[in-house]
Amino acid sequence: MNEKRRNIIVVIVMALFLFGLSLWSWIGKDRDYSESERRKLASKPKLSASTVIDGSFMSDFEVYAMDTFPMRDAFRGIKSVSELGVFRKLDNNGLYISSGHLSRIEYPYSERMLEHASERMNNIYDKFLANKSVNVYFSVIPDKNCFLAEKSGRLSLDYPAFIEEMKQRTDHMKYIDITDLLELDDFYRTDTHWRQERIVDVAKRLASEMGAELKGEYTENVLESPFKGVYYGQLAIPVRTDMIHYLTNDSIEKCKVTSYNTGKPIEIGVYNMDKAVGRDPYEMFLSGADPFIEIENPNADNDRELVIFRDSFGSSLAPLLIEVYSKITLVDIRYMQSEAVGAMVGFNDQDVLFMYSTLILNNSLALR
Amino acid sequence: MLFSSITFLYYFLPCVLLIYFLTPKKLKNTALLLSSIIFYAWGEPKYVVLMTVGILNGFIAGLLIEKYNGAKTAKAVLWVSSLISIGFLGYFKYADFFIENFNAATGLSVPLLKIALPVGISFYTFQILSYVIDVYRKDAAAQRNIIDLAAYVSMFPQLIAGPIVRYSDVAAQLKERTHSISKAASGIRVFVVGLGKKVLIANALGELCKAYSESEERSVIFCWIYAVSYSLQIYFDFSGYSDMAVGLGRLLGFELCENFRYPYISESITEFWRRWHISLGTWFRDYVYIPLGGNRVSKLGHLRNILVVWMLTGFWHGAAWNFIIWGLYFAVFLIIEKFFLLKYLKKTKAAGRLYVILTVMISFVIFGAENMGSAMDCIGGMFGFKGLPLISAEQGYYLRSFSIVIIAAAIGATPLPRIIVENASKTKIGAVAVSVTEIFFLVGVTAAATAYLVDGSFNPFMYFRF
Repeated sequence: MNEKRRNIIVVIVMALFLFGLSLWSWIGKDRDYSESERRKLASKPKLSASTVIDGSFMSDFEVYAMDTFPMRDAFRGIKSVSELGVFRKLDNNGLYISSGHLSRIEYPYSERMLEHASERMNNIYDKFLANKSVNVYFSVIPDKNCFLAEKSGRLSLDYPAFIEEMKQRTDHMKYIDITDLLELDDFYRTDTHWRQERIVDVAKRLASEMGAELKGEYTENVLESPFKGVYYGQLAIPVRTDMIHYLTNDSIEKCKVTSYNTGKPIEIGVYNMDKAVGRDPYEMFLSGADPFIEIENPNADNDRELVIFRDSFGSSLAPLLIEVYSKITLVDIRYMQSEAVGAMVGFNDQDVLFMYSTLILNNSLALR
Repeated sequence: MLFSSITFLYYFLPCVLLIYFLTPKKLKNTALLLSSIIFYAWGEPKYVVLMTVGILNGFIAGLLIEKYNGAKTAKAVLWVSSLISIGFLGYFKYADFFIENFNAATGLSVPLLKIALPVGISFYTFQILSYVIDVYRKDAAAQRNIIDLAAYVSMFPQLIAGPIVRYSDVAAQLKERTHSISKAASGIRVFVVGLGKKVLIANALGELCKAYSESEERSVIFCWIYAVSYSLQIYFDFSGYSDMAVGLGRLLGFELCENFRYPYISESITEFWRRWHISLGTWFRDYVYIPLGGNRVSKLGHLRNILVVWMLTGFWHGAAWNFIIWGLYFAVFLIIEKFFLLKYLKKTKAAGRLYVILTVMISFVIFGAENMGSAMDCIGGMFGFKGLPLISAEQGYYLRSFSIVIIAAAIGATPLPRIIVENASKTKIGAVAVSVTEIFFLVGVTAAATAYLVDGSFNPFMYFRF
């Protein structure tokens, strides 16, 4: 190939690449939401003298240009391939793949966050539970990094030390250890959460430690569409998807679930099939994030009640426990002030379980 | 605006190229000037006024100097214009440094001005100074067209990060420049290489340096990893940006000067500074060192000249003591080399290279530190004076995760890739392979850089603070 032809090809190909994507950026339809990243995308900033002078137009435009760039997800995928495949980096923006699982590095262990989490829990204990006829329990859910990070050579929390620290900070609560019951495959490959069909043993252990005998007999159902968890979209590399299985039995099917999310009581199902085909199918469990939910079991052969202070892991676990309780109340203090709990729950003769994943405890500022 | 941003690559640049090439020849400088003003105003709208005043200062001074050619008035105009330029630079860049040191020395508490540093002020001020001095020295004729002079000073490819282009080097190109497919192709090649250096390598190394800065755990190995990574990052960041500037200049028909020539293969510090930030080194040589007498003075005078030039070089990089110490650090090595070491270094190339790498690495630890205390902590840590452990699990992770990037950067900092391509091109089959591979390389690097930018990765440009 002579030099002249070579130069012509370079100019034409690069001009097509640059001007093509440029034209697409200018005239393409802007997306306002990214399904894969599960977030709103920036919209075109308003042009005015004041936004230009204070520079906000320019800085907002930079974000808008990145957010709405043509084939954004494909380009994010190229970046992941480059980072993990070409440069052989062990993570891309903290995300990594190992043993067929996607995960995000959780590191380092934050003493300050543990202090905040325990302070929030102890505050609830002191205000509402101390000197009451309630049994208070605490359990830490180790996230999937506990079974993956260190083995795959990634940075990892010192989980035994982490759990020991939380136990000591909440030593007036009875600790229920569930770590030995969990393994990597108990978690979705592409998501942070555990799989409901794999945690029956955890539910049994919790019930047993709280003085109840859980039969643990369920029918296993499976959603038709594949589940692409939170890490799937973040890493933007096509990997094997998950399937969501959910468990039912007579108690679960007949129980009444009430949400107070909107201020008024609204009846919702244990499993929300609209959410199952929505942006985050894991939200099918008790309809996702909700500050206050009550599950009532009309078939209960006792009047025992359980209050769970929980995060999203609790959504898939709580239905498994309903057969041994007449009522389970789920409180998520990420979405409501913990001081407001007293107005919603009359604490008397209940089991109270604080159950949080290490991901929340190590990033606990969300607990209010 | 950053070259390495989606806004620049896919909004600004295509529009500018389209307008520029559709504009008639005699209006091309106007198109270039307007583009440059938008480019500059994108980041610093209010400081466009400051740059305009600077340009007017240079323009009027040039005309007056030429008018009063040889008379004392010309010298007076030179002094006044230079003082205005240096005054602006001093006020906007160094005022708080002087106030802080004045307060420290006197115990007073004069309030700081807290002025935001106008982007690129060090670069365009030096260009205006060089123009006025060149006219005074009759190395260049005064520019009678303010659009042409403003286009030179504000030319967006080199406006915010150099290279520092001498007026005398581009005066003819401002009047008459050619555009061709071969020039455009060459510009694209240089630009894409620069983009890859900045986005794919420098930013990745920046993440590693950030991890060091944010980590509370230090170790001997981590200090070394930081020193190596930061030295490579600053090279790929700055030379990448310079390559992009040269490439863009070529696309627009200008031949801008080369700013880096594989500095890390130097065998002495003297040679290093002939290969690193060449446009700054030659500026100080021609406008400070030689006017002070250079080496044609007494030995003591020569020493003074070296110290003055290198103190100013350090100070040009930033208003902090570690930059001054960084400059003087090099002055010490240059003096030692000049008076006896250079002749020994010439005999042992490998030892020379090792000495340069070690010396430069330590210099960049000083350069990149927040203050001298943290610089000394890192340097002490590197040589085992801080009682640090050899390595920790966290740092082992970073080392493993970034090893390919570091190796790629170390190889890329040498002429080896260029030599391989040149040798391959010598055979017929090799030449075809290089031609085919080249287009995939250019598209691949641009796509990868775009991917990194879309992902919003760590992307600040290091030299903006200068």
